[in-house]
Amino acid sequence: MKINLDEIFDYTSFNVDRDPHIVLDETICQQCDQRACTNCCPAACYTWDEENRKMTFVHDGCLECGTCYVVCKKDAFTRWRYPRGGFGVAFRMT
Amino acid sequence: MKRTFDAIVVGAGPAGSSAALTMARTGLDVALLERGNFPGEKNMFGGVLHRLTALEDVFPEFWEQAPWERHIVKKNLSFMTAGSNFSVSFDNEAADTPPYNGYTIFRPKFDNWLAQEAVKAGATLLTRSTVDDVIIENGKVAGVTLLRDGAELHAPVVVAADGVLSFTAKKAGLRQAKFSSSNQGVCIKALIDMPKEVIDDRFGLVREQGASNEIVGNTDGVRGGTFLYTNFDSLSLGMVLELASLEKAANTPYDLLNNFMAQPQMAKLLRGGRLLEYSAHLVPKGGYDMMPELVGDGIMVAGDAAALCIITGLNLEGINLASQSGVLAGKAVIEAHKQRDFSKASLLTYRKMLEESYVLKDLKMYRRTPQMLHNDRIYSQYPELVCSLMDEIYRIDGTPKDTMTRLLLRKVKEKVGLKNMLADVYSGWRAL
Repeated sequence: MKINLDEIFDYTSFNVDRDPHIVLDETICQQCDQRACTNCCPAACYTWDEENRKMTFVHDGCLECGTCYVVCKKDAFTRWRYPRGGFGVAFRMT
Repeated sequence: MKRTFDAIVVGAGPAGSSAALTMARTGLDVALLERGNFPGEKNMFGGVLHRLTALEDVFPEFWEQAPWERHIVKKNLSFMTAGSNFSVSFDNEAADTPPYNGYTIFRPKFDNWLAQEAVKAGATLLTRSTVDDVIIENGKVAGVTLLRDGAELHAPVVVAADGVLSFTAKKAGLRQAKFSSSNQGVCIKALIDMPKEVIDDRFGLVREQGASNEIVGNTDGVRGGTFLYTNFDSLSLGMVLELASLEKAANTPYDLLNNFMAQPQMAKLLRGGRLLEYSAHLVPKGGYDMMPELVGDGIMVAGDAAALCIITGLNLEGINLASQSGVLAGKAVIEAHKQRDFSKASLLTYRKMLEESYVLKDLKMYRRTPQMLHNDRIYSQYPELVCSLMDEIYRIDGTPKDTMTRLLLRKVKEKVGLKNMLADVYSGWRAL
């Protein structure tokens, strides 16, 4: 048994909002040399492309845990809030 | 939509629903706001709910009323390395009769049940309602606006029970703008499908008895711990990892949990299991010293939003503290309505009641624990020490044995260092 985040939509339910609840200013991320978000996010929503020096954030599989809000050293968020009512992760049991 | 209530509770988790229930029972017109489609949809935790003494007058036979999985009779504490595991197990007959000391529960079921109890008592539950901002009038909190359609809800008092990041408390100016990553942990959890009979046999349980296991070690040196709890026909396996330590780690949280599941002793317990759900959430682990202001004009903060959480390694407490704080916030609102005074000075009765209850007494008592747990040796060197000590005690290899004292001294020197050990025993003694 293994947690494979490529298959996260098979075991955790989401009602994805088109409007992302977290928005990054990627130019700020380019100046960050820590990028704790990439290692700490439990849902692998943050990926750093070293070649193009570009941070990508995908909100689809966000578990709304709050980790990135705490570990970001650069205040790179132009928006960090919870999804609109009814959208986002929907735990069934857990 | 524009409506006025006697009180608004932000967040229908254990703190919020306890507050709303307390107020509604005395006839106050309370709005209970929940951002999910139903209460509990957004909520996860390790899995063990401790006895909720705060609600025992409302639910005298809680175990007959609340939805739970198993009641905990067996507590294990383990020290684990990559290839070995040393456990201390306490199986207690006294925990097998009501009122039970603790239960495994599922939050989407439990939180929904508690919120519906508040509704039965007369509270108005508004789901799919994410709070956008607090309304400030004459310097006092006077309500909230919702993200959905900009709806305004007015009340002379707001209870912020919106969880660890509490944007309600932040917008009311009660919490710091930035959290320290050493004060927060992330809890990640795998819910694992397993037939009841298999769980009963593997963990030595009958009927609806449950086991909880806290495990130190095998986290690749990252500060944190692992838990394994038995639900009725599933297991909850997860880790709480300190963010300041995880930031510097070579592994992601799910890598650490995957490695943990593959550890030989753990793999035996999980064999045949199938992943049902994966979840994660922050845990406010900084204790007393990370608490925000609990009270402002027209507002109080309860539960995780107030950082009411105790992590000692042996015990993980949160919901019981949340529920108690919610009940007390509710009582303070009732009193404020009697006096028709919702100023900070009036609402400080909440803080006073919390100080007199076990909530702040325990948080103060464990004030030094978070600092003590910042010690990296706990998470790798001590489990190594314990397991290698046991290995040598039991090993028969044709060489003469050391006396126990000489063996212990040698192992301590080798694995931890004598000075470190003495310092750690002292700080552990002070913190616990």
